[in-house]
Amino acid sequence: MSIQTAEIKPTVPSSPLTGFWKPFRKNRMGVVGLLMLVSILVVAVFAPSLAPYNPKTSKGISSRDIYNPPSALHWFGTDDAGKDVLSNFIYGSRVSLIVGFFAAFISIVIGGVIGIVAGFYGGRLENLLMRFTDTMLVIPDLPLIVVIVALTKPSLLNIIFVIGLLGWTTTARIVRSQTLAVKSRKFVLRARAIGAGNMHIILHHILPLVLPLLVVNAILVISLAILNESTLSFLGLGDPTTASWGQMLNFAFDRGAMSTGAWWALAVPGLGIVWVVLSLTLLGHGLEQVLNPRLESHHLMPGRPTVQSEVVDLSNNRSDALVLLDVRNLSVHYVNDKQVAKAVHNVSFQLHEGELIGLVGESGCGKTTLMMALMRLLPAAGQITSGSVLYGLQDLATLSEEEMAEIRWKGISIIFQGAMNALNPVRTVGDQIAEAIIKHMPGMPHGVVNARVIELLNLVGITAEHKDHYPHQYSGGMRQRAMIAMALSCNPQVVIADEPTTALDVMIQAQILELLDSLRKKLGLAIIFVTHDLGVVAEMCDSVLVMYGGVTAEYASVDTIYNNPQHPYTQELLKAFPDLTKPEKRLTSIPGYPPKLEALPGGCRFAPRCPVAFERCTTEMPKLHELNHNHIVSCHLVENNRVR
Amino acid sequence: MKRYRYLLQKIGWSAFTILFVLVLNFFIFRVLPGDPVKAGTHDPRFKKENQEAMRVRFGLDKPVINCFETLNPIKVGDCWINPFDTQFFIYLRNLIQGDLGISYHTNGPVSDILTVRLWNTVLLIGAGQILSIIVGIVFGLFAAWKARTAIDYSALITGLVAWSLPTFWLGIILLFWGSRHGFPIGGRITPGISSYPLSYQIGDIARHMILPTLTYTIVYMGEYLLIMRSSLMDVLSEDYILTAKAKGLSNFQILKDHALKNAMLPIVTIIAINLGFTVAGAIQIERVFSWPGLGGAVYEALERRDYPLLQGVFLLIAVSVVIANLIADLMYSYLDPRVQVE
Repeated sequence: MSIQTAEIKPTVPSSPLTGFWKPFRKNRMGVVGLLMLVSILVVAVFAPSLAPYNPKTSKGISSRDIYNPPSALHWFGTDDAGKDVLSNFIYGSRVSLIVGFFAAFISIVIGGVIGIVAGFYGGRLENLLMRFTDTMLVIPDLPLIVVIVALTKPSLLNIIFVIGLLGWTTTARIVRSQTLAVKSRKFVLRARAIGAGNMHIILHHILPLVLPLLVVNAILVISLAILNESTLSFLGLGDPTTASWGQMLNFAFDRGAMSTGAWWALAVPGLGIVWVVLSLTLLGHGLEQVLNPRLESHHLMPGRPTVQSEVVDLSNNRSDALVLLDVRNLSVHYVNDKQVAKAVHNVSFQLHEGELIGLVGESGCGKTTLMMALMRLLPAAGQITSGSVLYGLQDLATLSEEEMAEIRWKGISIIFQGAMNALNPVRTVGDQIAEAIIKHMPGMPHGVVNARVIELLNLVGITAEHKDHYPHQYSGGMRQRAMIAMALSCNPQVVIADEPTTALDVMIQAQILELLDSLRKKLGLAIIFVTHDLGVVAEMCDSVLVMYGGVTAEYASVDTIYNNPQHPYTQELLKAFPDLTKPEKRLTSIPGYPPKLEALPGGCRFAPRCPVAFERCTTEMPKLHELNHNHIVSCHLVENNRVR
Repeated sequence: MKRYRYLLQKIGWSAFTILFVLVLNFFIFRVLPGDPVKAGTHDPRFKKENQEAMRVRFGLDKPVINCFETLNPIKVGDCWINPFDTQFFIYLRNLIQGDLGISYHTNGPVSDILTVRLWNTVLLIGAGQILSIIVGIVFGLFAAWKARTAIDYSALITGLVAWSLPTFWLGIILLFWGSRHGFPIGGRITPGISSYPLSYQIGDIARHMILPTLTYTIVYMGEYLLIMRSSLMDVLSEDYILTAKAKGLSNFQILKDHALKNAMLPIVTIIAINLGFTVAGAIQIERVFSWPGLGGAVYEALERRDYPLLQGVFLLIAVSVVIANLIADLMYSYLDPRVQVE
């Protein structure tokens, strides 16, 4: 029986476009792009009043005006026909934008309809449409556009249609996959159940959720259309009656701007294209970041340096020599631009040789953070703000990355929760185990490494023939066992098992736990066992550390925890857990959720949910009180001797 | 077993796409307006009987396909004619024999023109693609590795700007600059050096290639950079990277042995899809630098209304891109053991 605290989020169909402006404003790239786009739109709309000359008339132009360099009269010089480049440039923006927007509109409508129809109706129709889309996607765009435009009359309308009719493939694919994702969501199924028609569902439930993606895609399609138009014009396939930027370049390039050195006639129109396309690119990039925010961090980013606490006196190791790991007053914070989350605060415990310590508490209580801090594997935002992790004569909290790399796996290894993703999908399992051995025991002959891998796999009940299989060929239980074999590969003294059985079914769970327990006895491992499962703790562990909201609630031997729990949280946890000796007892759950680590309550972190909280609990954080026999409790009740 | 089915499926799919391209290529030139014979010869002195002779020579006197005399304007014809005596069938038969028709301009076989041109384009695209892939991937790798640092932001901005550059314009600007700094002003080789030693000739071609290849590299590098960056960012936040770190591997080892292969998977697909765009780039670059390749052939065919040549180039380009996509799919299945039948 595990404690279920997962919050069930209501599925409210809210379009991600709502409340979009606020985060967008903070996206520098998106804002710059938008401003650039607006500026060129203004230029295009007010072209007649902005342009100093009318590009349609050639009145008063003589042969002396050809390719004049920039001057007060012609800011950007004159072109091959003696016309003002600036004026041509200003009017040219209209062509680019018109073609871009209208062609993209056609593409988006076609792609949107095909995508939604394919995704929504599915079956044969979907198959047919997507096959067609894939075929069109493979056929190169521009040569086809060139061929069609060359065969038809070169007019702006034709160009718009040809670019529009060929540019929909990516849209169709994106819209289809989004439709598929939305289609099976609860609110769509609910709408269908109450008898809403297909059209209604598409327009009112699917379209609003597809729209944001469509907008981002539209921006890309517009920029591609603009690039295509300028290329067509540059190749001499533009509308001869309208001077677009591409056409200006075509004329300048063909009519001697190169040899006369008239750089202005070549640079200016091109900069216009770059300006528009870059504005769209930036805008699209910004929009995507806002609509689809990704954590811009990864595991190789350097973490924040440990805050050096007072020098730890290693000689004054207060317990006997059998202590492998001595964690003292460890605190970990997650720091980002906006806030600080105090994930772990002032936690201490000791791990002895061969000991199995259980680390329990609800999700979000800092258990995994604590383990990651021990291994110095905190994400980039995580920082050890105080305390020390003594391992042998070293303080792991302050080691350099290189020194720590030596201790990882060889001294302390870890079994991650959900081994599904903890193994690299494109390398064989055996290879991934061998890698650790080769790293920490360099020079070991290939054959020996190989034999060791097989031995390890056998140890966890996997036969040798699975050595060269890939993780996806393993079952969930096998992957977890392979992960255990991997964790044991370098004979570590300490193994951290971070919820190793969470995603597995009950039978497999039991097997894995039995395996861990037997390995502990066989190899003399010390294990830190992170779990929700109090039953496992009672059965296997020697001592228990109960965490709540990032702090130690109670830390004692397993007998003490089960027979004489002092912290109300421990007591409540035990009430939520069935006891076979008292079958008549009712199970109760703890109302509420663990505190958010960014907004911790002022006093005791458990106070808001504590059935016996009193005034002091909301104002003052309880100290860690050591009762007899290394029994540590952080509760005001203990101090006041008002133990229930 | 499953893998074979995957491969067969992909090969069958490509064959179908090529067939589609063949049919499209045939009908597009017959459905769209513009009589190729008239368009190819604007000369008013061109007599009617000569026009007819030309039609016969280019095979345009036959019905397009069963039931249709012509498609533009649509003229319904006899359905019960010998299908082997239609333009469509003759087109297919000629294709199988490697005959892509006769150029209006040179009066020689289109296939001869294309074979020469193809290698020039392969040389240019090959050099440009390889360089842009290497540069893009290396920059993208550093950007992702050093995420949220100045290196990352400058790489990102560089990528976005490079992506936004019109290929032909960048070519023009580089040519403008290069022609004033001793670079050749275009073409593939300086005329009249065929008697010079081979090493000199190769050096001359290399000198001619510098600017077009540079244009290519800059434009396409941007996209590879952006994709590599985001792909590697995704991979590096995967759980198995944390496992690798927990095992004590160094950052370099993790990148090399755990991240690169996985991050390269999307790149392989993009490279293939890009080949279509690459050809678009070739048309522009070869026009700017007067490079005698397929893209240049497109431009010349456009100027001279040489439809058989245009048709031939389009077919060659489209089929090459389809085959390149197939190769990418096969490579993907080799790189990713998880690939199975969809």
